[in-house]
Amino acid sequence: MGRKKIQKSDLSRWLDRIAQEHELIGPAEDDGVIRFQPVESSAEIAVEFGNSVIPPKSLFFPAAESLFSFHKRGKEIELEATEPLDRDRVVFGIRNCDVQSLSLLDHVFGQDLEDIYYQERRARTALIALACPTPPRSSCFCTTFGIDPLSSEGSDVLLTDVDDVYLVDVATEKGEGLVSLAEDLFPGLTDDDTRQLQPRPAEMKKVDISQLREKTEALWEDELWQKISLPCLGCGICTYVCPTCHCFDIVDVGSTLDGERYRCWDSCMYSDFALMASGENPRPTKRERIRNRYFHKFSTFASRHGTGHACVGCARCLVHCPGGVEITEVIKDILAKEGASG
Amino acid sequence: MGDNIYLPWIATITEVRPETPDTSTFVVAIDDSQLRESFTYLPGQFAELSIFGVGECPVGIASSPTWEGALEFCVRAVGTVTNAIHDLDVGDKLGVRGPLGNSWPTSEIEGKDLLFIGGGIGLPPLRSLIHYVLDNRERYGAVEIIYGARSPQDLVYKQELKQWEEQSDVDLYVTVDAGDGAWEGPVGFVPPFLREINPTPENKVAFTCGPPIMIKLVVEALEDMGYVDANIVTTLEMKMKCGVGKCGRCNIGDRYICRDGPVFSFEQLRQIPGALEA
Ligand SMILES: Cc1cc2nc3c(=O)[nH]c(=O)nc-3n(C[C@H](O)[C@H](O)[C@H](O)COP(=O)(O)OP(=O)(O)OC[C@H]3O[C@@H](n4cnc5c(N)ncnc54)[C@H](O)[C@@H]3O)c2cc1C
Ligand code: SF4
Ligand code: SF4
Ligand code: FES
Repeated sequence: MGRKKIQKSDLSRWLDRIAQEHELIGPAEDDGVIRFQPVESSAEIAVEFGNSVIPPKSLFFPAAESLFSFHKRGKEIELEATEPLDRDRVVFGIRNCDVQSLSLLDHVFGQDLEDIYYQERRARTALIALACPTPPRSSCFCTTFGIDPLSSEGSDVLLTDVDDVYLVDVATEKGEGLVSLAEDLFPGLTDDDTRQLQPRPAEMKKVDISQLREKTEALWEDELWQKISLPCLGCGICTYVCPTCHCFDIVDVGSTLDGERYRCWDSCMYSDFALMASGENPRPTKRERIRNRYFHKFSTFASRHGTGHACVGCARCLVHCPGGVEITEVIKDILAKEGASG
Repeated sequence: MGDNIYLPWIATITEVRPETPDTSTFVVAIDDSQLRESFTYLPGQFAELSIFGVGECPVGIASSPTWEGALEFCVRAVGTVTNAIHDLDVGDKLGVRGPLGNSWPTSEIEGKDLLFIGGGIGLPPLRSLIHYVLDNRERYGAVEIIYGARSPQDLVYKQELKQWEEQSDVDLYVTVDAGDGAWEGPVGFVPPFLREINPTPENKVAFTCGPPIMIKLVVEALEDMGYVDANIVTTLEMKMKCGVGKCGRCNIGDRYICRDGPVFSFEQLRQIPGALEA
C-alpha cells in the first residue's frame, strides 16, 4: 500500500481529525508517567517518549474488566454480558515490541475457544505504530527476539521519524482508511524524498538465542532457578509490566443479589497463585515460580502455540524489578550453561 | 459452551443427596429447556459451578452422559465456593459453565477389561465412566472397582456400592483406613489392598483418581504388577480459574490441565517435565 510522508507539524491535525471519528488513544503523561489512555485532542499526546510503563496490552486485556453482571430476583438469576467497547478506537504511538506482543496474545485469546472480549477490542482498534527513536533506549533488546523496531508488521500504519517529517507506511486497509481522513496531509514521495528520507537503522546489541529454548529445557533441575529467585520479592511487577503475560484471576464484586464478575490481572509470581483449597501448592517456593515464568517465556508458550519466544525484549521487567532481576542476565546465564543436555 | 466462554448457564437444583458429613451430591437441571436437551458431555469432563457474588470452582461431572436431563455433581465443602454450594437447597439456582476439559478414553478402551481404583472423593469422576460403561455393557469387558475411604462414613455413593456389590458383572472391593464398630469389611489403605487383590494386567486398562499420595502408591503397585504406563489413566488437579486455557493458572509444563486434561495416561505424564514431582 506504499509509503507516504507527513510533515511533523501536520501530525496533530491528522490526529484531531481521527479523534472526531473514533476514540483516540495515545501515550499521555500523568505526573511524569507515560500511559496509553484516551485523549480528547492531540495536544494531550506525548510524541517524544521512550515507552509506557504499563504496556498497551491493557487496552485489549485490561487490568480489571467486568465480564458480566448478575441480578437475583427471588430465585431467578439474570446475567448480562458486559459490552467491551462502545466505539471503534485508534491507538497512536504503539511501539513495535508491543505490537508483536499483541500478535502473541492473539494466540492465547484468539484461538481455541475465542475470548470475545479481547477479540472485539482487537477487531475494533486500529494501530498507528511509531518507530522507536534511534538509537533506542539502552535497555531495549527486541532485536534479540527477532523484532525490528522499524517494521510495520502487525500495525495498520507505521510512522518513522526522519528529520522534519514522518515517513508513513500504510500496511492495511484500516490504515488506508485512517490516512484517507486527511488525504491532503500525506503527499506521496518524490524521487528525491525516496533517496534522502532514510530511517536511521537501529543499531542494537543482539544476542544469539537459537539455543535458548533447548538450553532452558535442559535446565529444569538446575540450581540456576534457585539462584535467580534469591533477590526476588515475589511482588509480581515483572508480570504486570510485561506485554506478553496473560495470567488473570476471576473475582465477583457486589452481593449475591446484584454484582459483577470481573477478571483481573494476576501474577504467577504470587505464592498463592497455584495454592489449592487442600493446602497443596505445586509451585511452593520462589524457585518453582520463577522457573515457571522463564519456562513460559522461553519454552512452553512457544511449544504450546507454535510461536517464537514469549518475550519481545521491551525491557520493562528488568527496568522495574525492585530486586534487580534482569531477564537479559537470565538469558546469558542459561546460554552460558555448558552441555546441560540431561 | 456458548460463544461467550465466561458466561455460565443458569441451572436449578432438583435434588440434594448427602453422601458424607462434608460431601453431597447436587442434581441440577439447566433452566433453558432447549439447552438442557442439547447439552452433551463426555465422562471425565468437568464444569465450573458459580455462586454469583461468591465465585466459581471446577467440579467433575459425576453423572453419565447416557442419562438424560439432569447433571450430577458431588461436592466436598472445603472453602468459599464449595461451602456456598452446600448452602443451596432444592429449587435454588446456580451457574454451570461447561462442559470443560478432555475426557476419559471411551472408544480406545472398547473390548478391554477395566479396573477402577478410587480413593475418597476420587470416586465421583470415575463414576461417570463406570456408568457409561455399564450402560454400554456389550462394548466393554469385565469391570473391577476398588474403592477406599478414611472411614465407613466417608464412603460416597453408598447406595450404588450396594448395588454394584450385588451386580454379577461388577467386582467391587471396598476398604476403609479405619473401621468403626459396625464395619465388617476390609481395613487398610488402597495401595496395599490393591496389591492383595492383584488384578492381572492382561487386556486391562486401569483408571485411578484420589489424593495425590494414593495415586502415587497405586501407580507404583500397578507397575509392579506389570501394567504399562499407557494403560494407567488418571486425572490431575490444579488450581483453576478460567477453565478454558487462558488464565495461565493450571499449567504443568506446556499443558493446561483445564484444557488438555484433566485426564492423562502415565505415558503422557512422563513426557511433561515436573508432572510427576510429588
Ligand atoms: C478438574 C477438577 C475436578 C474437580 N472435581 C471435584 C469434584 O467432583 N468434587 C469436589 O468436591 N471437588 C472437585 N475439585 C476440587 C474443587 O475444585 C476445589 O475443592 C474447589 O475449587 C475449592 O474451592 P473453594 O472456593 O471452596 O475453596 P477456596 O480455597 O476458597 O478456593 C478459592 C478458589 O480457588 C480455586 N481452587 C481452590 N482449590 C482448587 C482446587 N483444588 N482445584 C481447582 N481450583 C481450586 C477455585 O477457583 C476456588 O473457587 C475438582 C478440581 C478440579 C481441578
Ligand atoms: S519484579 Fe522482580 S522482585 Fe518482583 S516478582 Fe518479578 S522478579 Fe520478583
Ligand atoms: S523484556 Fe520482560 S517485560 Fe518485556 S516482554 Fe520480555 S519478559 Fe516481558
Ligand atoms: S484454569 Fe485458566 S488456564 Fe487452566
